[in-house]
Amino acid sequence: MLKLVGALLVLIAGTLIGLVQSARYAARPRQIRELLHALQRLETEIGYGQTHLPEALKRISDTAPPPLSLLFSDISRSLSKESAGSGETVRECWERIILARWPETAMKNTEREAILRLGATLGGSGREDQLKHIRLAAIQLQAEEAAAREDQRRYEKLSRSLGMLGAALVVIVMI
Amino acid sequence: MQQSQPILELFPVSLRLVLERIPAFARETLEEIRIRENRPLEIGYGSRYAFVREDGSLTELGHDAFVPGKEHCRALLERITNHSIYAAEEELRRGYITVSGGHRVGLAGRAVLDKGAVFHLRDIAGFNVRIARARIGFAAQVLPGLLDFKARTIRHALIVSPPQQGKTTLIRDLARSISSGQWHHPAARDWGSRKVGVVDERSEIAASDKGVPTFDLGPRCDVLDACPKAEGIMMMLRSMSPEIIVVDEIGRQEDAEAIHEAVHAGVRVLATAHAAELSDLFGRPALAKLAETGIFGSYVFLTRDGSKVNHRIVSAEEAERQTSRSRLRTIAATPRDAPGAGGAQPEIEGSGLPGQSIVKNRALPVIRSPDMRLSGGSEDA
Repeated sequence: MLKLVGALLVLIAGTLIGLVQSARYAARPRQIRELLHALQRLETEIGYGQTHLPEALKRISDTAPPPLSLLFSDISRSLSKESAGSGETVRECWERIILARWPETAMKNTEREAILRLGATLGGSGREDQLKHIRLAAIQLQAEEAAAREDQRRYEKLSRSLGMLGAALVVIVMI
Repeated sequence: MQQSQPILELFPVSLRLVLERIPAFARETLEEIRIRENRPLEIGYGSRYAFVREDGSLTELGHDAFVPGKEHCRALLERITNHSIYAAEEELRRGYITVSGGHRVGLAGRAVLDKGAVFHLRDIAGFNVRIARARIGFAAQVLPGLLDFKARTIRHALIVSPPQQGKTTLIRDLARSISSGQWHHPAARDWGSRKVGVVDERSEIAASDKGVPTFDLGPRCDVLDACPKAEGIMMMLRSMSPEIIVVDEIGRQEDAEAIHEAVHAGVRVLATAHAAELSDLFGRPALAKLAETGIFGSYVFLTRDGSKVNHRIVSAEEAERQTSRSRLRTIAATPRDAPGAGGAQPEIEGSGLPGQSIVKNRALPVIRSPDMRLSGGSEDA
């Protein structure tokens, strides 16, 4: 009896691990897409609205879905006037927050590098230059998105079934 | 004084730490903070200057002073543009940025030209942070001298001084006094207040934040923020029906024309201009033309003595008398129009000025003025 309960637990755990893994594969391209939308929005705010960066980032965080909205609202808050006491530059604060919050997203290090590189130039040059940098980051992200979709297509189902099958294997070996 | 704390928030931490430690007497009279990349940090206070050491103490010699580096300049530029240099391109082109609180930051760097005009500033390595102060009560000393008792308002006035003597501070307080009806004169107690239109091209008079003045300009004041002066005066006239128009730092031909327009629309004009003396004033073409047509009823000259600002009000007649001599000399090359031009001026609304001689101020006696030496010299040359 006890054996049966143990086997069931292992089976459930394995299946869950597989589901989580496959969800990550599904979430990564989606989040990259959302990030691309956010960059597009930023491009509009800078190019046409000439909105100041803290304000622009706040607007983006209002429209972006959860993991990204937190990211942008944090940066916007630490750039805005209320926290002017810290004296941080965009690059410092962008780096700090991106590094701290990145594990909460499903994205990998290559996307993070592209975003960090964008942060190092954001706000620091003329309009044309800013737009170029944003577009460059967007192109990199697009390439990453294609790769992420490929991964998703290949591994999403695989990891789901692998979790359950692996658990089943463990159960069989144990019995 | 109360302004100087927030302004330090503009600076990146490393610079702020140095500036926070400067002695209290310097902080209280702080006028300028000059940051030059790889050169000593300088402050101007109470009409003096000093370099700042890393521990905040002041020194006359620059060799052991704190030296801001490239990173400091970059961070400072980023902070004064609110992390958005792309949104400040127009300001960079003009060479200064006005930050919240009305403080103006002048910039020096490498100009990028496009078709011969300055298109952008890059490699910005020189900052001059000028600290704006509202000195309420400053106008009380000056305003009584500008009143026009017949029309129950002020005369057209031009405030003249070299940079850094408190022109903008004065004009700000004058605008406040007029729009709140504090004339500071017993005879003017029942005049009420006037509608004041401020054309604030450099956002220094009102220091508007999203269109709302952050300095107290009284209840009846409309501010046209960041608008070119000439155009702004016309817009004000068309739409806001001001009784008094306040503009800062006039000097271009368009400005003069717009002021003409305003004067003939029955609006009183209160303006400032850069010049040290009357002769300088008349040396600037657009201003000279404006003054020659006799528009301004009085000129206010500001001079500074330590932290105290002295003012001297000169009526148009007096100004005329002082300058007609030198102008005659310059006009001497083109004969005939000199007396006519000289005689035409003093007819401005100066009939009953206090302390003014009523004798017609003709330019004639000037001919025998002891200027032979000078004019002779020019003929020799």
